[in-house]
Amino acid sequence: MEAVLRQPHVEPRPKSFIRDWVLTVDHKKIGIMYGVTSIFFFLVGGLFALLVRTELLTPHEAFVSAQTYNEFYTMHATIMVFAVIIPFLMGAFANYLVPIQIGARDMAFPRMNALSFWLYFLGGLFMLASIIFGMPDAGWTAYPPYSVTSAGPGIDFWVMAIHVVGLSSILGAINIIVTVLRMRAPGMTFHRLPLFVWSTFVTAWMQLFATPALAGAVTTLLLDRHWHTVFYNASQGGDPMMYQHLFWFYSHPAVYIMIVPAFGIISEVIPVFSRKPIFGYHAIAYSSVAIGFLGFFVWAHHMFVAGMSMSAGIPFMISSLVIAVPTSVKIFNWLATMWRGAVEYEVPMMFASLGFIGSFIIGGFSGTIVAMVPLDMHLHDTYFVVAHIHYVLFGGAVMCIMAGLFYWFPKVTGRMYNNKLGYLGFWLYFIGTQVTFFPMHLLGLAGMPRRIAGYAPEFQFWNDVATIGSYILGVGTIVIVANLVWSAKYGVKVGPNPWKARTLEWQTSSPPPEHNFDEIPVVTDTPYRPYTLPEVSGEPEPEPV
Amino acid sequence: MGNQATHTSWLPIELTPMAHDVDTLFYIMLGIVTFFFVLVEVLLITFLIRYRRTRTNRVGANVHGSNLLETIWTAVPAIILVFMGAFSIHYVYALQVPPAQKYVIQVTGHEWYWEFKYPNGVDVQTTFEVPAGQNVLFDITSADVIHGFYIPAVRVQQDALPGRRTQFWMNASTDSIGQTFPVPCDQFCGPGHPAMVAYMKVVSEDEFNRWLNAQLQKQKAGS
Repeated sequence: MEAVLRQPHVEPRPKSFIRDWVLTVDHKKIGIMYGVTSIFFFLVGGLFALLVRTELLTPHEAFVSAQTYNEFYTMHATIMVFAVIIPFLMGAFANYLVPIQIGARDMAFPRMNALSFWLYFLGGLFMLASIIFGMPDAGWTAYPPYSVTSAGPGIDFWVMAIHVVGLSSILGAINIIVTVLRMRAPGMTFHRLPLFVWSTFVTAWMQLFATPALAGAVTTLLLDRHWHTVFYNASQGGDPMMYQHLFWFYSHPAVYIMIVPAFGIISEVIPVFSRKPIFGYHAIAYSSVAIGFLGFFVWAHHMFVAGMSMSAGIPFMISSLVIAVPTSVKIFNWLATMWRGAVEYEVPMMFASLGFIGSFIIGGFSGTIVAMVPLDMHLHDTYFVVAHIHYVLFGGAVMCIMAGLFYWFPKVTGRMYNNKLGYLGFWLYFIGTQVTFFPMHLLGLAGMPRRIAGYAPEFQFWNDVATIGSYILGVGTIVIVANLVWSAKYGVKVGPNPWKARTLEWQTSSPPPEHNFDEIPVVTDTPYRPYTLPEVSGEPEPEPV
Repeated sequence: MGNQATHTSWLPIELTPMAHDVDTLFYIMLGIVTFFFVLVEVLLITFLIRYRRTRTNRVGANVHGSNLLETIWTAVPAIILVFMGAFSIHYVYALQVPPAQKYVIQVTGHEWYWEFKYPNGVDVQTTFEVPAGQNVLFDITSADVIHGFYIPAVRVQQDALPGRRTQFWMNASTDSIGQTFPVPCDQFCGPGHPAMVAYMKVVSEDEFNRWLNAQLQKQKAGS
């Protein structure tokens, strides 16, 4: 690799913005475009969250009407799920990292990759257009018959956005599967794959199998709305519950689509900053496979109270409890990776350890509670579930995204972020997460339903605490985004491998050249090798590859 | 609703023996997850501090894994979770199967109020009464979109769907006579959703019969 790095780069001709970005088929640029677009939508979705929390400062509908509130929380959830977390992980991170981590020059289908991004972009535009023409108001779940009867074009925009983003997701999944199967560098066996690649490979299969069910659900919804079909019209033989089955057949795997690649990020960050090989490589890789498989057998746990007989929930309760096992296996392996390590408190490690593990486990544990049929009878559709999903998606997925952003930032930009602002952003996020989402457990236990603009006055105290927490998160988001934007232009320049990491993306320049590697690397070992002291090895770091 | 029984940051009062059983199951689960929560957080913080990088601890140990540990931390959670799932099955059937002797109240969700029909023809909205110490079965449906019939004090909810009947039963404790309990709609149903709350008053059997008769007279006089 030394020889490769020293080769002079021929300076390419400067390209116009359109040629350089809009027409690009380079997986790294497409990844960056996914990332920038996701951050934009993260700000939009976050703004809706702050509007929702502001309304909930008082028990009555003081700030906005119930109708407007419903539109706000629908936009918040839809944007965060479909335009932020999934594209951030499977668009931005997977696109940028998978080819380079397996030693390839690009994705298997670079043009289809560009198409995936632009479809996602178009889907995002549909969501934004609905702000002008009328926002959807039926929640991100859009259950019929309410979503059929809902007036205005909001739901139609929502269906269009889901369709287009779903197609983008399917194309992206095919690309990742084929890339991992066909494009690995010589010697990059499956058991030498970085764990992030394992996680995206599993996730891509889930996207491929689950997304068509969602497309079916929203298509029939659109037909019922405008062409007088009766898929969900009970008075004419339709069945509203069928929509829920189709929706959750996608959307429960979608929860894993949002967390498995995030686990992959953690499996990269923790060993590097513990200066130690990952503990239990095979256990972590195959527990992702187990989650991917079991994830298709738990969907009806969203429907325990939806009209199935209670005992029909029992198999789904057992599968939902069992799927917690591979997740806990990962947690213990990450902890064991830190055990006897030499842990560095860098910003990505703070997000990965205290931020992610410390918060996400609360969501994991509350998940086992709502998985139990008798307990879900009480907690379903209350704020307890809101707390659960936000500990999974914010304490989990978003913390991992932040860990990944700070970890790969020097690779993507060739510059280092501002460390002090990085820590500030971390602490605001860590504290904000607990203050915002922990009180929601208590409200849910007490029986406060979700999706309500006004609530019983006795619930005000904890709602106000949660709202204050959400403002802390808002400030944290500004600090983090400002840090990254500023540092991308003015940060201190860094070399190819500031973290002394071993995966292949760190063995090329920062930022990498368009073709990733001047010479396709030959892989002879796992990236998770032990670290040795420089005076023992005689080098600043052991030679990779 | 001066005499409303609500807690603001923990489980509401237990209106039925079943609610007490469900709470017991909740506290068992809470105990288990709290144990593992404390375990993980303590290990996390300990490892972060104990194994931080210092001048004398510059690289981590050469450890790749342990099959024994993997087996332990796969098997132990799996056994506990499957056991808890299996343990809770009898609660599911206890909730699902109503006793033979029961008093049936027809519940219908509307945009945006609850309607209650009693066997003698009494038809009321929003505020309703139930007899303490009797098995009451709610037979639930919807006239329009999906609603959720939820009594937090009973720890049970069932969605109200058009074209489908759902049910649950309860036996309100006589200790709660005279108290009123909120019955919020728990499935999003439109702009009226937050205001779609019914109030259930638990009364003695005598009082319940008096109330039913009074309602019936009122209804006849009105029609």
